[in-house]
Amino acid sequence: MIKMALEIIVMIKQVPDSSEVVIDPVTFTLNRGAARNVINPADENAVEQALKIKDANNDTHITVITMGPPFAESALLDCMAKGVDRGILVTDRAFAGADTYPTGLTLAATITKIGKFDIIFAGEESTDSSTGHVGPGVAEFLGIEQASYTSNSWVEDGKVFAERQLEDGVETVKMEPPCLITVLTNSNIPRNATLRMKIDAMKRGIETWTLADINLKPEWVGLKGSPTIVKSMKSIQEKKRAGKKFTPDQMDEFVDELISKGILKFGGD
Amino acid sequence: MIKIEDRLSLLNYKIDKSYEHITINPSICETCPDHFCTFACPAKCYTLIDEKLNFKYEDCVECGTCDTACSHGSVAWTNTKGGHGVKYKFG
Amino acid sequence: MSEFDVIVVGAGPAGASAAIRLASNKVNVLLVDRADPPGSKNVSGGVLWGDSLSQVIPDWEKSNMLERYVEAKGVTFLTKDSKISIDFRSKKFGEYKSGYTVLRTKFDAWLAKKAKDAGAMVVSGVTVDKLAMKDGKVIGVEQSGETITSDSVILAEGANSRVAYDSGIKKKPEDQKIALGVKEVIKLPEKTITERFGLTSPKMGFASEYVLGFLDGGVKAGGFLYTNRESISIGAVISMGDLRKNNQTYSFNVIEQFKDHPFIAPLIQDGRVEEYSAHLVPEGGMSVDSVYGNGYMIAGDTAGLTFSNGLVLQGMNYAVVSGILAADSFMERKSKGGDMNFENYQKNLENTFVLRDMNNFRGLDQVTWSESIHSTIPAIAEDAMLNIFSENGNPKKHLSQIVISSALKQKDKRKDLAVDLYRMLRRM
Ligand SMILES: Cc1cc2nc3c(=O)[nH]c(=O)nc-3n(C[C@H](O)[C@H](O)[C@H](O)COP(=O)(O)OP(=O)(O)OC[C@H]3O[C@@H](n4cnc5c(N)ncnc54)[C@H](O)[C@@H]3O)c2cc1C
Ligand SMILES: Cc1cc2nc3c(=O)[nH]c(=O)nc-3n(C[C@H](O)[C@H](O)[C@H](O)COP(=O)(O)OP(=O)(O)OC[C@H]3O[C@@H](n4cnc5c(N)ncnc54)[C@H](O)[C@@H]3O)c2cc1C
Ligand code: SF4
Ligand code: SF4
Repeated sequence: MIKMALEIIVMIKQVPDSSEVVIDPVTFTLNRGAARNVINPADENAVEQALKIKDANNDTHITVITMGPPFAESALLDCMAKGVDRGILVTDRAFAGADTYPTGLTLAATITKIGKFDIIFAGEESTDSSTGHVGPGVAEFLGIEQASYTSNSWVEDGKVFAERQLEDGVETVKMEPPCLITVLTNSNIPRNATLRMKIDAMKRGIETWTLADINLKPEWVGLKGSPTIVKSMKSIQEKKRAGKKFTPDQMDEFVDELISKGILKFGGD
Repeated sequence: MIKIEDRLSLLNYKIDKSYEHITINPSICETCPDHFCTFACPAKCYTLIDEKLNFKYEDCVECGTCDTACSHGSVAWTNTKGGHGVKYKFG
Repeated sequence: MSEFDVIVVGAGPAGASAAIRLASNKVNVLLVDRADPPGSKNVSGGVLWGDSLSQVIPDWEKSNMLERYVEAKGVTFLTKDSKISIDFRSKKFGEYKSGYTVLRTKFDAWLAKKAKDAGAMVVSGVTVDKLAMKDGKVIGVEQSGETITSDSVILAEGANSRVAYDSGIKKKPEDQKIALGVKEVIKLPEKTITERFGLTSPKMGFASEYVLGFLDGGVKAGGFLYTNRESISIGAVISMGDLRKNNQTYSFNVIEQFKDHPFIAPLIQDGRVEEYSAHLVPEGGMSVDSVYGNGYMIAGDTAGLTFSNGLVLQGMNYAVVSGILAADSFMERKSKGGDMNFENYQKNLENTFVLRDMNNFRGLDQVTWSESIHSTIPAIAEDAMLNIFSENGNPKKHLSQIVISSALKQKDKRKDLAVDLYRMLRRM
């Protein structure tokens, strides 16, 4: 088996920690509080997937990128401390208010500027907006092959393989690099950074790019470049449901009730 | 009185699926005369189920109490790694 | 050449203060905390007493990380049916610094940021395993099998001192040396808190410690209730030895018994529990044979520089002071080009209130955790108060007679009481 020196790019996003949005035990209402920022969980798995490929292919070089506010630096440093070689923060006031289209465009332009790459990794979706558009969008902007919702991927004889989790089974796809892969949440267990690597990452530091670095016009990015307009938002009102209790020795009545409500039907007719 | 389970459900944990930071030695617990851990642990990680000691590390708030509480040498206690474990909002 | 001048293990008040002090003086310092962000594993009741932080952050009182300034301080004895309390309010709390309530997760993250701003390298989310030793000298720290070198290490990892245990410089605590603190943060509107505790403004706060003399099975615990801006911190510090002797009370239920007490419940009424937490509290003073060695110093809770005895609960102030002194002791040695054996740290500690307080109160914990404090005295006081303030048809007696006759009812406990009072007086 020929081992390759690969160029990998991972896209990560900083999101509010979804587990800090908790349910109040007394009132059963959602209690959001001021959730702290973490790396989008699927992106941690994407980084780990890239590192696994690096483990298996010497001389592989990984770059992690994010479009976000300046404090997203810590997310990039965390990835670098795990073995990522380079971190780029793309930040500019002009990016504010971006929907998935300019987000994808901005990231694609950043990747074009980086130059050579073999594989791009993204998370399946973010926990804060959960569109799952950005990864596939970037692949379309760049005109490359893609495999979404993957649980594992590897490189063999210059080809990229990925396992896609489908409703009715697992599909293994084979792609020519360059290609893009989106990674499922919890598809692997992200490694811990060591103190040595954290120190090294901090010494190396990240690069910061702005709009001017990626050759896009201001009207293409941020709110101006966003075709979606949010007209209004509604929270879902849960319908009040009637409840009725049955004890184990009332099973006959329970079944009758289900049949009379049309919930339970017997096949044949 | 709020049940301990409900109080624990308020907490945010980053659970380490690859490392259990506390382990017990079941053969020691089997003959334990006091099961003091079940009273001492503030996160109810130690419970008796059918007279058998059951330990779950996921709810642990890393206080270190059980390491002192168990006087029979059953508890092997280490810190969580990599920022895993409990993550308080107020503290 | 070492990679760092100093590695500080733990970014609690002790470690962060040390790092700020060092970095502000251009010392090359690494501050490591196992929590990410720093502070997210730490618990205090939360009054930071005194003004020690001003030594490293001169304008600390302007920080919006502080919740309320304590203008009312209570000490309260609770029996099953009664409450006897001192509610101390003083205009002098303007001249004499009392303290500010803080919430540690926010507060510690802010301290770590101050260390970073001062020039320290701050690494979070990494657990230090051990001190790295060579020829009997500490040369840095070990983590995941790698050594990060430094001229010296300040160990400030808190009460649960795994690094110290695993490096063989501290023994695991016995029951008398440790108590278990459990706490809840209860959300209430700012205005409700200000009104309910009779405070003069939303910036002012109330702080009280409680002797919980009514717990099921006679478990001994000290309670605390502190007001934050928009929440109340309430909790209990439970004696480990007592909990073990009892062996039927669940630690997590003690705080609920406290909250349900008829004189506590109204104070937290309509509040929503936002967080439950637990942490060890060192008891009974210094917990290490020596606070220094070749290449290291031990600060804060790791050294047992905590004053907790079921009645008083202070540790953050001692942590801050010891952290600063450790930093100063390093710089003293460095400037003299001397070795890194820090007996000067021990001396510096002796010259401040830190070790003096520890010595003064050594042994007092026997009293504050005693039967007298937790049940005899409250029972006498309760009986006396009932006698004074109730009409039972008998002619009123002189106060001293009432107290004596109430005390006589606790006859079998009299000897213990005398011993405890003697111990207390001798120490104070
Ligand atoms: C209808 C609608 C309206 C919106 N309006 C606004 C708005 O007005 N203002 C606003 O700020 N936001 C808005 N958003 C949110 C915004 O679209 C998304 O935050 C952003 O485009 C990223 O999309 P996502 O979070 O759904 O990512 P997904 O597509 O779910 O993310 C998949 C993966 O893409 C990568 N990725 C995503 N974002 C980034 C990034 N920034 N940097 C690097 N990699 C990334 C990660 O690998 C991630 O795992 C809106 C969303 C919707 C659905
Ligand atoms: C319930 C309760 C109420 C209290 N109330 C008060 C009060 O009102 N006022 C008061 O002054 N004091 C109070 N205290 C005491 C006070 O909290 C402590 O004395 C104080 O926190 C000690 O500070 P420290 O910096 O020594 O340790 P800590 O605050 O415990 O900090 C230790 C730090 O080290 C880190 N750490 C631990 N191990 C490692 C490792 N291996 N590697 C890297 N990092 C590590 C931890 O994450 C932590 O951030 C209370 C304590 C409790 C439990
Ligand atoms: S952990 Fe210790 S105290 Fe608990 S049951 Fe086992 S031996 Fe007993
Ligand atoms: S460390 Fe504390 S919370 Fe964790 S299992 Fe032990 S006693 Fe329970």
